[in-house]
Amino acid sequence: MSTATASAPDTQRTPAGRAIEMVTGGNRSIPVLIVLAIIWTVFYSQSSAYLSFQNITNLTLQIATTAILALGVVFVLLVGEIDLSSAVLSGVCAAIAAGLAVNSGLALPLAIAVAIGAGMAITLIEALVITFGVPSLIVTLGGMVILQGLILVVLPPEFTVSVAGTSFAKIASTAVPAGASYVLAAVGTVAFAAYRFFVYRERISTGTRTSPVSIVVPSVLVAVVLFGGVYTLTRQRGLPMPVLIVAVMLLIAWYFTTQTRYGIHLYAVGGDREAAQRAGVPVRRMVIYSFLILGACAAVAGMVDASRQLGVSVTSGAGPLMLNAIAAAVVGGTSLFGGRGSIWSAILGALVIGSISNGVQLLGLTTEVQYFATGAVLIIAVAVDVVLTRGSLWPGRR
Amino acid sequence: MSLLELTKISKHFGGVRALHEVDLSVDAGEVVALIGDNGAGKSTLVKIVSGVESPDTGEIRVRGESARLVSPRAAAEAGIRTVFQDLSLCDNLDAVQNLFLGQEKYGPMWSGRRIRRHVMEEHAHRILESLSVKLRSLNTPVVALSGGQRQGIAICRALISDPAVVILDEPTAALGVSQRAEVLDLIHRLRDQGRGVVVISHDMKDVRQVADRVVALRLGSKVAEFRRGEYTPSDLVGAMTGAHEGDSSVPAGATEGDEL
Repeated sequence: MSTATASAPDTQRTPAGRAIEMVTGGNRSIPVLIVLAIIWTVFYSQSSAYLSFQNITNLTLQIATTAILALGVVFVLLVGEIDLSSAVLSGVCAAIAAGLAVNSGLALPLAIAVAIGAGMAITLIEALVITFGVPSLIVTLGGMVILQGLILVVLPPEFTVSVAGTSFAKIASTAVPAGASYVLAAVGTVAFAAYRFFVYRERISTGTRTSPVSIVVPSVLVAVVLFGGVYTLTRQRGLPMPVLIVAVMLLIAWYFTTQTRYGIHLYAVGGDREAAQRAGVPVRRMVIYSFLILGACAAVAGMVDASRQLGVSVTSGAGPLMLNAIAAAVVGGTSLFGGRGSIWSAILGALVIGSISNGVQLLGLTTEVQYFATGAVLIIAVAVDVVLTRGSLWPGRR
Repeated sequence: MSLLELTKISKHFGGVRALHEVDLSVDAGEVVALIGDNGAGKSTLVKIVSGVESPDTGEIRVRGESARLVSPRAAAEAGIRTVFQDLSLCDNLDAVQNLFLGQEKYGPMWSGRRIRRHVMEEHAHRILESLSVKLRSLNTPVVALSGGQRQGIAICRALISDPAVVILDEPTAALGVSQRAEVLDLIHRLRDQGRGVVVISHDMKDVRQVADRVVALRLGSKVAEFRRGEYTPSDLVGAMTGAHEGDSSVPAGATEGDEL
């Protein structure tokens, strides 16, 4: 820590240091947006179908599962832990929900609640072992293997549950009609502007420096994103339900990470555990909360995925999902070392990774190109993270 | 009555004796300097008083009442605030978040304990200004600030809850000349506000300048206690290093202090 103190004034003076300071903190999303723009430009120049309304709608559906899981992973990364088991956990939760709803005839909301509860219970056990002192890498690696066994237990003897034609399948296939979607976008914009106005009034009341610009500019941005999104995504059949689920989860996560005491403590634990402990932050409890959120996110991700794939099988949650979710969080700007990043990194990172694989498939390129590109983007993103954490471009200059 | 009174505090780490029956008292409006060589037990004593560690035996009294400082929060509630040598700031948080960490001002339960940032910012402005700590922006992560600014934030943080006793662990160690003078000034201001101040320091010049009373620790035990003006610099060094051991130089102040 004292070394950080010593290097801080130096990094401020060098141009590289200043650039690093600029992209940390609130502006951390900008480099990701630039990367996203480059990816889209490259693929669009190869095929104009890439940015068609239909393909963008497809892309959002493809990344929904990754984005939801990545959101949970972000919470765990923010407190300085890691998780490798949540993808398989999502499969287990989906198997539980589908089994209860389809095979046992339980009401869908109840089945969903049970699955989310099961997800949180499993991550709670993992979190308790981690706060006991076992490294999270090991706990969740072991947990992943155990869960791979558990999914065989949860699934019926034929090892698959088909949800085609059931209410379960409607989770992903429901679309909010265009009219209602625009109403939602309008409500969202007005609510956001009202919130900014509320904050503006608060700041005026204590004489804190502020200006009406702090209401107008963000509100216009939000309106552009919401209406642009709705316009793009409702060209086919209306706003897909998974998109709405992601949006609502992001909204809740944004509120709790940036506007509440819980959020400050979350970042404090990731930034400096001992300092947080000394300041009276309940460090162990914050770690447990993060894993509980991950459990809930994994359950939702698993159910959305099962609903979209029309079934659960032993391969649910297997494959590249786990690495994609971690990669998404990190590519989006959440530090592997804890304490830095935001919930937006989940959706931005998922967009980057989804855009690459979508584009590769659209152009009919071979699968290895997709692997090469995704892997390279991940390594570059972590390299950027290392530079930002170190506060210097070159090693050994602390 | 003392604001803070420690009686016969002992602490072991495994087989190592970190503190042995140490007594210490701090009155209102008094600066007590705690000196000692490395490994003398200063840091352990600070950790015990700030609630990070619990003593094996011994009693802690706050304003005459027995207190159990089982956690940093309990110590803070008892009115004891500590500024650690490493400052204990979260590098990734900004000045306001660091100042109020663990004691945020927040809204009702239904809002999810929404932080009242505007109230905190206003309070932060006031407190930083009162100690003339200058920051470019309250929103910059503290990792980007200078050593003096970080020290200022750490001390201001201790004052947020208006504590009775402030403990400063090596407050001037990492500072330049002018910033050091500022911090010593600040210690006087804390005392003038009627708080009890404990300063842990290596720097004999600082100690002579600010301390009303000096307590010397060596190898986990209290070896001497001096009142202002009743000691020479070599007395301090002698007590810290044990150089005058066997000398009849246990000063009059020491016995007096023990009876307090």
